[in-house]
Amino acid sequence: MMKRIIFLLFFTMIWSYSCQNDQDELDFGLTYPDYFPAPHYQFGKNTLTKEGFELGRSLFFDPILSLDSTISCASCHAQGHAFADHNVALSKGIYDLAGTRNSPSMFNLAWQPIFMWDGGINHIEVMPLAPITNPVEMGQDMNTAIQKLNNNPSYSNRFRKVFGEKPIESQQLFYALAQYMSMLVSADSKYDKYRQGKVELTLDEGDGLQIFRAKCASCHKEPLFTDYSLRNNGLEILNDDLGYGRITLDTTDNHKFKVPSLRNVALTYPYMHDGRFRTLDQVLDHYSNGLVYHTNIDPLLVQNNIIGIPLNNDEKQKLKAFLNTLSDYTFISNPLYSE
Amino acid sequence: MKFLNSILIVFTLIFLTFTSCKKDEEQAKPGNVTIEFDHVWGSTEGEFSLNSELTHPMLGEKMTFTTFKYYVSNVRLKAKDGSYYTMPESYFIVDADVSGSNKAVIPNVPAGEYTDVELMFGVDSTRCSSGAQTGALDPAKGLFWSWNSGYIMVKAEGKAPTAADGSFAFHLGGFKGVNKVQTTKSYNFGSTALVVDGDREAEIHMVANPARLWHGAEKLAVKSVNTMPNALAKSMSTNFYDAVRFDHIHN
Repeated sequence: MMKRIIFLLFFTMIWSYSCQNDQDELDFGLTYPDYFPAPHYQFGKNTLTKEGFELGRSLFFDPILSLDSTISCASCHAQGHAFADHNVALSKGIYDLAGTRNSPSMFNLAWQPIFMWDGGINHIEVMPLAPITNPVEMGQDMNTAIQKLNNNPSYSNRFRKVFGEKPIESQQLFYALAQYMSMLVSADSKYDKYRQGKVELTLDEGDGLQIFRAKCASCHKEPLFTDYSLRNNGLEILNDDLGYGRITLDTTDNHKFKVPSLRNVALTYPYMHDGRFRTLDQVLDHYSNGLVYHTNIDPLLVQNNIIGIPLNNDEKQKLKAFLNTLSDYTFISNPLYSE
Repeated sequence: MKFLNSILIVFTLIFLTFTSCKKDEEQAKPGNVTIEFDHVWGSTEGEFSLNSELTHPMLGEKMTFTTFKYYVSNVRLKAKDGSYYTMPESYFIVDADVSGSNKAVIPNVPAGEYTDVELMFGVDSTRCSSGAQTGALDPAKGLFWSWNSGYIMVKAEGKAPTAADGSFAFHLGGFKGVNKVQTTKSYNFGSTALVVDGDREAEIHMVANPARLWHGAEKLAVKSVNTMPNALAKSMSTNFYDAVRFDHIHN
């Protein structure tokens, strides 16, 4: 009788343990509010797991991927700044080399169909290839990167656990990083809580939202606050960066850049593809009366032959109040995303 | 006795049936087909090799290749009955610097007689836009543009005394729009069919001529570098692909 009870107890323990495991697996996944569209990235053969995500997280914070093991992804994509750089216009890579564009913030990437300011990268999995191999960023040949990982017993072990018994190859590295990057969901700002009926906006914030919807939302489309299009927003041409035109070689695409999301915008200054504007005031002034005519200027920025978005000071203050509701402090302090 | 005889007949028949079955199975053994790309230089089809000085017959310029490689993919074999055998995951890098890479092996081809081979030069648009790949398509192979997603489908690099800085580099690719580089070609074997039967040798010999890259292009003194998808990448690769010819089969 005793034996039977022990057996039953043992069995129940195993049962509950395996149930627990199933529960963990079920709990781990991409979660987002019901007003978000379906994600663009569907993972495909890259099965999302907790271990795969954690491996991607370790790699994101590890300078092992750079030539001299000094620069990690996180060097220029800091969680406290919604994964943009530490409020610098141009980031520094290995040997203190400077790039030519502002490090973009990183969140809601599973919804993003194209990457980089010029839209040149077409898939989240191959995105890290650019910073890893760029001579002024991490400057490392992919084969060397993979070799370094294979020579590292801890990574070797963890990759095997996630992807099976085989040497690490670039696809596994890209899969792990894609798992981490896709899971960076920012959807708990005051705006989100307002959308979910949990808080009220202040009068200024509410007015700001109305102004935003009337004057900004066609490009910075809710709820992701971008439509992922490439547009010329009338910036003065300061250098020979052709943006999207460099990718398509079509002159009508020259000086067009990807519309960035405005989520966490207050945390990610400076602004524009080259980080030329330090404050949101400068950005709003640019749109109201600082635009420079360009043959490719976006038609939405030209109304009745006048370029710019008419905004008075009162509207600018209210817009700013609204833009501040897009800061997601849960996201920037979420320990799930931290090293 | 009659009874015994009929039993014998029955047994013999059964035995024959079984052995003939076995014979059929042996005949139906799938085999490998090898597509071999031989590289020649110019219309005289002289010797092509890396690290040796060649004179381009049309440009009249001297050039020494250090790199010459290109993608071949999506191989299909057309059987006599008109059906196709499509090789799964068929992506190859033919690399003049890697011995044996000019032989694309198609394993487990069903036994039978084949009249044509169809293949793609370059990489299909699906694999250019489906994220991280493995094997020949591994970005670590150095043939995937990091900043402008897509494969470098032909890579030709080397030294040329007439070029601006003494070297040339042509990275030809682009998988969409008017300048898409990848193209599907079909080659008929003529009167003799390719026989696939177990371990029996089945080889398709093709001849490719890298000099054709410059069939319609400017002298290296004028243009020695092109490393992005554009009209020149399209015309150079098209000239090269169009001149690849079927030579013979080995049965």
